[in-house]
Amino acid sequence: MSELSERIGEIIQVSTTRFLAQSDDLSVLPHFGSFIKTQSQGMNIYGLVFNVYETSIDPNRRAMAFGIERAELLRRQPQIAEFLKVEFEAVVIGFADAGYIRAYLPPFPPRIHSFVYPCDSREVIDLTEDLEFIRSVNALPGLPVEELAAASIRLAYAERGNDSAFLTRAGQEIAQLLKDEYEKARSIIRRISDGR
Amino acid sequence: MAGKTKHIGSIIAGSLLGGLEAKLDEDINVEGISVGRLIVVDGALNKFFCLLKDVSLEATNEDILLNPPRDDFSKMVHAGVNTFYKLSLQPMLITSQEPEAGDRPRPSTTVPPHFSPVCEATADDISLIFGEPGLTNPEIGSPIFMDVPVCLNLERFCKRSNAVFGKSGSGKSVLARMILGHLVKSDMAINLIFDMHGEYGWSATSEGSGLDDPSLRQLLGSKVAIFTVDADSPLYRKIRPDYDVQIPCGIIEIADLELAAGELGLTPAGIETMYRLHDAWGEGKWLAKFLAMDAGELSLVVEELKVNDQALGKLHRCLSRLKRLPFIKKEVADDTVARIMNEIRAGRHIVFQFGRFNSMLSYILVANILTRRLHRLYVDKTDSARAEGTEGPKPLVVTIEEAHKFLDPAVARQTIFGTIAREMRKYNMVLLLIDQRPSGIDDEILSQVGTRIIGELGDERDINAVLTGLPSQGTLKVLINNLEPRQFLLTGFALPMPVVIDAKEYGLFCDELRVGAGVIGDEIERRKSMDTLKASVFGDDEIRFD
Repeated sequence: MSELSERIGEIIQVSTTRFLAQSDDLSVLPHFGSFIKTQSQGMNIYGLVFNVYETSIDPNRRAMAFGIERAELLRRQPQIAEFLKVEFEAVVIGFADAGYIRAYLPPFPPRIHSFVYPCDSREVIDLTEDLEFIRSVNALPGLPVEELAAASIRLAYAERGNDSAFLTRAGQEIAQLLKDEYEKARSIIRRISDGR
Repeated sequence: MAGKTKHIGSIIAGSLLGGLEAKLDEDINVEGISVGRLIVVDGALNKFFCLLKDVSLEATNEDILLNPPRDDFSKMVHAGVNTFYKLSLQPMLITSQEPEAGDRPRPSTTVPPHFSPVCEATADDISLIFGEPGLTNPEIGSPIFMDVPVCLNLERFCKRSNAVFGKSGSGKSVLARMILGHLVKSDMAINLIFDMHGEYGWSATSEGSGLDDPSLRQLLGSKVAIFTVDADSPLYRKIRPDYDVQIPCGIIEIADLELAAGELGLTPAGIETMYRLHDAWGEGKWLAKFLAMDAGELSLVVEELKVNDQALGKLHRCLSRLKRLPFIKKEVADDTVARIMNEIRAGRHIVFQFGRFNSMLSYILVANILTRRLHRLYVDKTDSARAEGTEGPKPLVVTIEEAHKFLDPAVARQTIFGTIAREMRKYNMVLLLIDQRPSGIDDEILSQVGTRIIGELGDERDINAVLTGLPSQGTLKVLINNLEPRQFLLTGFALPMPVVIDAKEYGLFCDELRVGAGVIGDEIERRKSMDTLKASVFGDDEIRFD
């Protein structure tokens, strides 16, 4: 498991297919489409960030507009930061079992209050070796599948040192996975080809 | 000659009747796959040799057709998933994956399983199908896009009447000359070539370079005898013909004249009148007597034989054209047919030339008269040999150009050529038809043709005609439509399966016959260096997939 200092959040709600975590640091927002992991019962569980939001800690009180730049506002009224939190949602895309990464749902979800860490480069590459996780993501309701798939592929592409062979392979897998949803495949492919 | 197997796709559907369908691999460039190629499908137990008959563009999803990908990246990633290329294959032959010694490919009676790998035929496959080049199995070209010899089994070739079809400029004369050259060299059969345009004797003008190509006599020396009806032709300045042919009037039969009715302008009434004259004055005598008559004598004939004077006058005018052919004589001391038989017995091949008298009239008359008499002799000899249990006369291949003039549906039943084509090799005599207008040939004759060598043909009717009586006509038609000059579709008895070839370079052929020396040797060297130069400039013809 990675060093504690790297952690980016703590899980506050879970289900089999997704979990919600609260960020430790207001100043850093996890990237949309980035790969994260958490450890639970001796098993690494991997997720893909699909929703990030910054909100008031009190559900009954909304943040108000001050008309001042954020940095200036926080300098003048540092207490405001204490009333804000960053939360992010991730969809579970796989787990590591006996050193092997499996790109499908783990037998159980992570536990609440587990810490969340970013995946290292090796893990991102292993997770994106085949793009089966996009099929699971596509099957879940209410996710911005096109944006999410494109963002995660772009990230994996960057992790591979902009290997264009990977991008081609990814495009072909998208075309294959979504061959009954041509328009969806087409918009993902357009998004990833922009990254070249 | 090992060739590396190149995987190009897998079988996805098909039937023996309708042919197989294969999906082309995504990494293969479809533009490198052309119809007519030989394809091998590796089944579990058998190898299937197929002809590529069509390539088509397919899509798995209607949406992609309505809203096509625009950039190259999108086109690339959709290839093989939403869009793919389908190959239509016609299975022709199968052979066991682990053939035992002596196993030959046999006609395909089943299909390979789903997803069997589809590969390009390798050099080994081609030589398994067409055999290794040899004296009786000479190389006449290579499959298109491949540099492997395709050989013609001369032993089988000589067992049936054969045909070379193609429009002018398709290279049929050159290919026919190569085949005849190999036939002469191998001595599988004696050749009698009625050479209307003077291409099979000493030399022939090459269409490509405009230079003179060495022809059979030059290449094969004394194995070939030249007979001519025009010994004074400038053709013979370099080389004297072996025999100056003269035809006596006595051997011209009414059937011969009927065959040339169009050229002579004969009417049905004229033909009737000829029979009257024939009956009255006797066979062998009437023509000479009739041609020698003047107007006064003709009117006596009208009274004597009670024939129509106008019909008689017209007939006389028509037949007078024969007088303009100097090789037709009233009386001739020597018998040409006996000469030909002597040459045949001596194992020499005969090129029969016409020099300046290469009109259709003289060609038809001479070819018909001589072949008819030869055939009669052959029938007698074969029958008596059979009765005595001895060996019959040597097999004879009679080559005729403009074959449709002899085998027109209206006359094919009467002419000797129709008879020879129909009776096959019963009497050791077969035809090699060379023609540019196969639609003019009787269907019944066409269906008897054993091996067809088909070059470029323009007319739809001609294409339909050459396919008469063949299986898989649809496939073959596509192949014929795609032929270029010097490319030929070979199909029939002498070949295990149809194949489209690039005809061999004539220079290489001359080199192979290896009888040339001196001037010819130099010419061969020049051609070889031209071929090498061409290869270095244009590269080899092999298509690379990338």
